[in-house]
Amino acid sequence: MLDDTAKNKLIEVHDLKMHFPIYAGIFRSHVGDVKAVDGVSFDIFEGETLGLVGESGCGKSTCGRAVLRLYDITGGSVKINGQEIGETPQNELRKMRPAMQMVFQDPQASLNPRMTVEGIIGEPLDEHTKLNRKEKLAKVHELMDAVGLNRTFSNRYPHEFSGGQRQRIGIARALALNPKFIVCDEPIAALDVSIQAQVVNLLEDLQERFGLTYLFISHDLSMVRHIADRVAVMYLGKIAEVAPRDALYADPLHPYTKALLSAVPEPDPDLTTEDRVILQGDVPSPTNPPKGCNFCTRCPSVMEICRQSDPEFREVLPGRFVACHHFNENTNAT
Amino acid sequence: MKMKTILLGAAAAVALSACAARAERGADGHLNIIYWQAASILNPFLSGGTKDTEAASMVIEPLARYDEKGNMVPYLVDEIPTVANGGISEDLTTITWKLSPGILWSDGTPFTSADVVFTAEYCMHPEGGCQQETKFSGVTNVEALDDLTVKITFDSPKPFPYGPFVGVESPIIQAAQFANCIGADAPNCTAENFGPFGTGPFRVTEFKANDVVSYEANPNYRDPAKPAFATVTFKGGGDAASAARAVLETGEFDYAWNLQIDPTILTQMAAGGKGEVVSSFGTSVERLMVNLSNPSADLGDKRSTLEGGPHPFLTDPIVRTALSTAIDRNLLAEVGYGAAGKPTCNVLPAPAIYASTANDACLVQDIAAANAMLDGAGWARGSDGIRAKDGVRLSILYQTSTNAVRQDTQALVKQWWGEIGVETELKNIDAAVFFGGDQSSPDTYQKLFADIEMYTNNFAGTDPEAYMNSWTCGDIPTPANNWLGSNMPRYCNPEYDALAAQMGQTSALDDRAALAKAMNDLLMQEGAMIPLIHRGDVSAHSNTLQGVLMNSRDSELWNIADWSR
Amino acid sequence: MLNYTLRRLMFSIPVLLFISFIIFLILDLAPSDPTGNLPLTIPPEVREKIRESLGLGQPMPVRYYKWCVQFFVNEPLNIWDQYWGTCSFGCEDRLRVVSYVTRSPVVDLIVQRMPQTLWVVGMSYVVGILIAIPIGVISAYKQYSWFDQTGTFVSMVGFSVPPFFSGVLVIIIFSVQLGWFPSIYDTTLKVVSWDTFMLQVRQMVMPVMVLALQTTAQISRFMRASMLDNLNQDYVRTARAKGMKESVVLLVHVLRNSLIPVITVIALGIPAVFGGAIITEQVFKVNGIGQLLIIGIQGGDAPLVQTLTFIFAVMIVMANLVADIMYGILDPRIRYD
Repeated sequence: MLDDTAKNKLIEVHDLKMHFPIYAGIFRSHVGDVKAVDGVSFDIFEGETLGLVGESGCGKSTCGRAVLRLYDITGGSVKINGQEIGETPQNELRKMRPAMQMVFQDPQASLNPRMTVEGIIGEPLDEHTKLNRKEKLAKVHELMDAVGLNRTFSNRYPHEFSGGQRQRIGIARALALNPKFIVCDEPIAALDVSIQAQVVNLLEDLQERFGLTYLFISHDLSMVRHIADRVAVMYLGKIAEVAPRDALYADPLHPYTKALLSAVPEPDPDLTTEDRVILQGDVPSPTNPPKGCNFCTRCPSVMEICRQSDPEFREVLPGRFVACHHFNENTNAT
Repeated sequence: MKMKTILLGAAAAVALSACAARAERGADGHLNIIYWQAASILNPFLSGGTKDTEAASMVIEPLARYDEKGNMVPYLVDEIPTVANGGISEDLTTITWKLSPGILWSDGTPFTSADVVFTAEYCMHPEGGCQQETKFSGVTNVEALDDLTVKITFDSPKPFPYGPFVGVESPIIQAAQFANCIGADAPNCTAENFGPFGTGPFRVTEFKANDVVSYEANPNYRDPAKPAFATVTFKGGGDAASAARAVLETGEFDYAWNLQIDPTILTQMAAGGKGEVVSSFGTSVERLMVNLSNPSADLGDKRSTLEGGPHPFLTDPIVRTALSTAIDRNLLAEVGYGAAGKPTCNVLPAPAIYASTANDACLVQDIAAANAMLDGAGWARGSDGIRAKDGVRLSILYQTSTNAVRQDTQALVKQWWGEIGVETELKNIDAAVFFGGDQSSPDTYQKLFADIEMYTNNFAGTDPEAYMNSWTCGDIPTPANNWLGSNMPRYCNPEYDALAAQMGQTSALDDRAALAKAMNDLLMQEGAMIPLIHRGDVSAHSNTLQGVLMNSRDSELWNIADWSR
Repeated sequence: MLNYTLRRLMFSIPVLLFISFIIFLILDLAPSDPTGNLPLTIPPEVREKIRESLGLGQPMPVRYYKWCVQFFVNEPLNIWDQYWGTCSFGCEDRLRVVSYVTRSPVVDLIVQRMPQTLWVVGMSYVVGILIAIPIGVISAYKQYSWFDQTGTFVSMVGFSVPPFFSGVLVIIIFSVQLGWFPSIYDTTLKVVSWDTFMLQVRQMVMPVMVLALQTTAQISRFMRASMLDNLNQDYVRTARAKGMKESVVLLVHVLRNSLIPVITVIALGIPAVFGGAIITEQVFKVNGIGQLLIIGIQGGDAPLVQTLTFIFAVMIVMANLVADIMYGILDPRIRYD
């Protein structure tokens, strides 16, 4: 599948920046910025799933929302299907919304509590299509079937459903306008483990049926391994490494990726690795990131240059991108 | 010469035609009156409030009223009965009124002596709770001799038999209308109490209790040319300042009643030129009542009674005179009352024939003289500046009702008394409690658990007999009579009581005046009370309104039939 | 929901009876005297007779029982008879709650006062809400903008400036200086034509605005806070992600959710409308319910004060119930059973 559509880039993100200003004092003067996303670049190919992983607060969700332009971004470019949307005003962007959708982390909070399921799923149809009432209802029922919800529940309110069902509503809602690209922002984090697999499988099924492209944001590395075709690792507002899934899990290049993967619990006690990397210290504040490489304060293999200059994000092996000075000096050094 | 005559004639013709145009009922359209206390009921027998009696005075009338000078004016009769014209019997026990023929009620029925007799029955009914009952005190019988003659009999000689059916508080109501409202049924007659039929210039078209009364000209009024106004709105609500504003500043209203506000503000408003402030003086006097009995709390039940013994120092006439001399009454009048007050040294300052001039020395403040008096009497200043004699300090508790002007007055008086070495403690009490009849409250003006108290009192009409009787020995409030009495100073002087008794036997006006003056002077010289201000009534009317004659002895609207624009 | 409502209504009966007793007790203990305001020329003996004729001689429990019978039995019967034009259970000598001062049935007085109170105070409430909601919405949407700052300032002024000041101020500006509006409300005006309608509008402008300033200040703050709560909710982002128009996001999604708590606040404020605005009614001489109450208090008119206060208590209990039920209707997450 990956090979067939290989080189057709659906999403191209280049040097995306999303800074949130901080105001303080009596006159609310601008005293600094939270650099939640600070120069991120990646591409997503049509039909694939890019997993975006990282610890809490590293800017994953902000990145996902910025790609969909749910924020007015600070800088950089976002292209969808070759069309630049980085600077497009929100009003024009609205017309492009059907192509790009989002599934949110908290299925309870992300659904309007005063709207019925039918209203929630059907609302974008009012806005973007010219279906009449009957056709709309048919479409809603069709979508409910597709995500495995009983269509007789269409007049119920979100609070009457379980967490897994609510997330199905959220997915049905995202699917309503036949999008090409869906950002799944930790769609399973708020769910029971037993339900997580159902939802992930549903997402996979839907990807197959509708030819969807996913940006799958998660901090659950095993789940990403299950669903993603390629994986991007994010640390403190920047991408540390992007690689095809198997290569990344088998042979992480960036020291942070290594640390992250070594933290994944290993079910087989025999395979417990002695060389588990334990990171010291806390993530620095995104308001005031360290000089040089932003991982330099915690990197187990830090070098002098890491504290001086920011490493370039470059392709070190075919399809494998990494931002680390170890690979700048010698591409083969590991 | 001829030319001049013609011109004069023309001018006269113009004037006449103008008069003729005016002399037509209802020609001047609508009249707006504001009484910031709204009328609650139009039956003065069920409400003694001024606002209610005056609102009713446009509709129902007494047999005779007092004019602005205090003279009696016949309204529903042709002449005032006197001993001279035979209307009052020689023994002063009966008075016979002869009603004017041809007077109609506003519903078109004739006004007869039966209505007068009924009114007396209505008010004298023991279960009716009639608030004007004192007007009928001593009346044993009211009978109709014929359709137009009413004879009133008293239980004893009445030198001044003009209580019943004279003045704003004693009008005649229609027998036919109120027939079912007598006694305990009186309060249930809402429609009647809100819209009495009357003989006056106006009749009620709509009554909204505590809000507004609408009147229209009475089509059956006895003078076919009057009243000049076709309709009247009698609006209530708000406060004195806003009522003054409505007449003097915005011109929305033509007449505003009782504008007891800061005199400087009233002057400013009047400067706008839209209206005029008018005042008149009745018999109201703001006075200090001097407690001649001992108010010490140690006396228990005998507190502030004659049994409790005399006051430790206020019984000394020199102290009382000094206290009075130390007060600058002119300043008090200027600060607190403006056009509505003038200094007085008499508790009976009006009508003119009763006003004594014997006490006018107190009009001039003389702190030095007051100090000299006290020094001479042996009241020596202590180390704290307060005078004392034989261990008795001149320390006074001075109480009054809560009211901005009264508290200003208290502060000034305290300062002056301080200058003559008298210590003063001030106290003010909510008016509803101070003047209320709650037996359990220690703060009523009747109990007078203080050394000195200040308030205003007056009497209606022109005859001071009942008023002057307030200071006889029998009228002292005591626990035995549930503190019901009006002799607050606990003044008891056989000489005074003798004068009062003599007045009850005297009918000649000049003799009565001499007696009243003598009683007033006795009270003043004995220092039972210290009068401060002769208080007037202040109202305002628009410049376009003509015919207003301010009257403090009857309704301010007494001559509303003559008002015009 | 129906069961819940009925149960609440049933519970409110003993509560209201208890309240009526407490009100009666307080009024009885208060040192006010219906004859206290009469001129001093009326002697004490006559005052005593007046008090007796008002029934004040009877012991307190007897008077309370009489009031209860008059208010809970006779008044409803009277309304029934007036409505159907009948005469049941001896309407001839049925005793109604009668005011000490006006000697007329208290309920009739209240009914007479209703129109101006509802027109002025009610209208000010409606106007206040209509102004407050857009201000609250815009203030929250453009938080910390000059509009929001101005709104905060105006709200502060509205909260802190009492109507006896703002009322007199507008009278001096618009009645005395400019002469645009009458300073005295004419309760006898009947709207029968365009001209009288305009007169009615002109005399309502100032009291309505003075009162609306307070309502606006309060409701706009609630609205703003509630909007801010909702603006940061995920479902708002969902709505934007759906590609809904900003106006739809704001007015359909955010506003409708934000209105839930605001509407309950509005419902709880309704008794105050019927209670009248004592000071503002007094300043503009509107002479509605509030003025009736204050005159009753000043005149020691216990039956009037008792009845009015009790009616307010009923309104407050009912408004609380309505607010709870509305919350249940508006917010599908809340269910009563």
